[in-house]
Amino acid sequence: MTVIARRLAGHLARGLVMILVVTTISFVIIRNIPGDPMRARYEKLVEQGMSPDQAERSVAVLYGFMPKGTMWEQYLDYMRGLFHLDLGQSLSVPGAEVTTLLGSAATWTILPVLVGTLLSFAVGIILGVYAAIKRSSKLGDILAVSGSLLHGLPQYVLALLLSAVFTTLLPIFPASGTADVTLEPGLNAAYIGSLVQYATLPVLAYALAGYGGWILAMKSSVVTVLGDDFILAAELRGMKRGIIFRYVARNAILPLFTILALSLGLLFGGAIFIERIFTYPGLGLLLLNSITDRDYALMGGAFLLITVAIVIANIVADMLYTAIDPRVRSGQEAS
Amino acid sequence: MTAPVITGGAPGAPRTPDTPAIPGVSGTRATLRRNFRRGVWRVLRRKPSRIVGVAILGVFAFMGIFGPLLYPARLPRDDNALYAAPSLAHPFGTDFEGTDVLALVITGARYVLLTALVTAVITVALGTAVGLFAGFRRGRWDTVLMRITDMKLTIPALPLLLVLSTVWKFTSAIEMGLVLGLLGWGGVARAVRAQTLSLRERGFIEAARGLGLSSGHIVGRELLPSMAPFIAMNMLIAVTGAVYAQVGLFFLGVLPFDANNWGVMLNLAVFGGGALTTTTALPYMLAPLLAILLLTLGIVLVVDAMDEIFNPRLRED
Repeated sequence: MTVIARRLAGHLARGLVMILVVTTISFVIIRNIPGDPMRARYEKLVEQGMSPDQAERSVAVLYGFMPKGTMWEQYLDYMRGLFHLDLGQSLSVPGAEVTTLLGSAATWTILPVLVGTLLSFAVGIILGVYAAIKRSSKLGDILAVSGSLLHGLPQYVLALLLSAVFTTLLPIFPASGTADVTLEPGLNAAYIGSLVQYATLPVLAYALAGYGGWILAMKSSVVTVLGDDFILAAELRGMKRGIIFRYVARNAILPLFTILALSLGLLFGGAIFIERIFTYPGLGLLLLNSITDRDYALMGGAFLLITVAIVIANIVADMLYTAIDPRVRSGQEAS
Repeated sequence: MTAPVITGGAPGAPRTPDTPAIPGVSGTRATLRRNFRRGVWRVLRRKPSRIVGVAILGVFAFMGIFGPLLYPARLPRDDNALYAAPSLAHPFGTDFEGTDVLALVITGARYVLLTALVTAVITVALGTAVGLFAGFRRGRWDTVLMRITDMKLTIPALPLLLVLSTVWKFTSAIEMGLVLGLLGWGGVARAVRAQTLSLRERGFIEAARGLGLSSGHIVGRELLPSMAPFIAMNMLIAVTGAVYAQVGLFFLGVLPFDANNWGVMLNLAVFGGGALTTTTALPYMLAPLLAILLLTLGIVLVVDAMDEIFNPRLRED
């Protein structure tokens, strides 16, 4: 238990450092944007008859920190607001808190990413075992090369090809949105069915993007385990092939949980493309729109939330690995 | 973006360390080079798909170098053939201005490939330097460098690029390549470090150290040559990562359309031409997609060959 607690503490510390780095990047960028939007906003409000004090407070609400004093004072003001979970207000959606917008968008990103990842994980692992067993055959070659190809292709290429096939040539899926706008949102069969229908292509895009990596990783891992002494011993004892492969799969799957974290991270990055192509209102599309709308408070908030999601994914994956691998759990050195 | 990184297994037979006392050392090196070339050719011949991969990359290299020379600076337009369907004169049809789509792909390749090349060189140079240093020195240096690398890997590169695009417009291919390279070295560093840790315990490195050779010699003349195929693999993989990020940014429309390239084409086809709902602009969208698909396929096939060069034991399978 001490081992797990120590690892968790280390991860949390590093996660906090990451969050500080990202928020600092956001702050520096906001302060260095050409045209100084904060000052422009302030002067515009004063021209409209607002008093200087009122204008200052209005800009502070929008951007999350007071636009006066030294750069260091502004930075501390920004960080102070952040620790109170105050990220400012949106310019493009007047009156809306950044945190509110992020919360609703996050749901639309997290669910498809998780479902897509689990799908690709399951299929990739099964075919990875098969590719390892058949690695000397033509089929093993095809599986490995196709895995490499899918792994190397950008998500938007896969998403655009999916869209070209299923929304343009054979339009059996809707091209954009989250559900049929004529349906009443709620826990009823029609609405849920519509949600699933509209989410199918984004989920497939995530799944295809992740699948190649899994098949390659699992094949590599299985090949390594097949060379281990305990497998040779099992074969010498004449164990059934099926039982041997259960041993192989159980051991070979361990490293893949570490890769899971990086995979999720990449998919969160790819969400920007997939959500743009399918006009799916998640975090990625929110970040993109905030940039085109010059909504800097929302941009900083979205960037921060994506980073936090990746940090959390890393921590969860490592804790999972600790729980799954008996050698780590008992405090011994992992292989 | 973080390019996918292949972590190779243990390298093949260790190379005999060079010593000044051996007469005819230049002849020895020539022999080694000839043997290496012969080995490469044998690996390529084992699978025809690898030769196909080399051919594909050759075509793209030619396209990048000579493509713009095949067409006039301002491509001709046909006002009577806006969004024309594919034909013999226009294999992928025309765009919204009546410009040939194939010509756009070919002339747009230079920007894409030049950026990818610059990115790959910087990514691999930085990643290899950090990875070699961390793996060879170990101890405190290793810890510090790997923490920095982990931090590097955790920052989501694509969102960061989007955020940076609000203050920086990446006006030239080299400038964009520089930014992408500085963002992408983390994965390579980690992979190279793993290889260095593995190699430094090998017999030939121990022998070199026993002979009293300097660290510079051991790293530069023993470790690096042993890892050369592995580094080349990562360089090619970095190319796919660079194409991904660069075409992607233009596709999203966050960078100004100063020059034609594949990302601009995708953006105009999808968001300007409605390629996702009507078939009119579909060829316009599919042409750059096909180019990216073929480029990635070529790289994948060549990396497959390099993997076997780096790991001769794979031939036993």
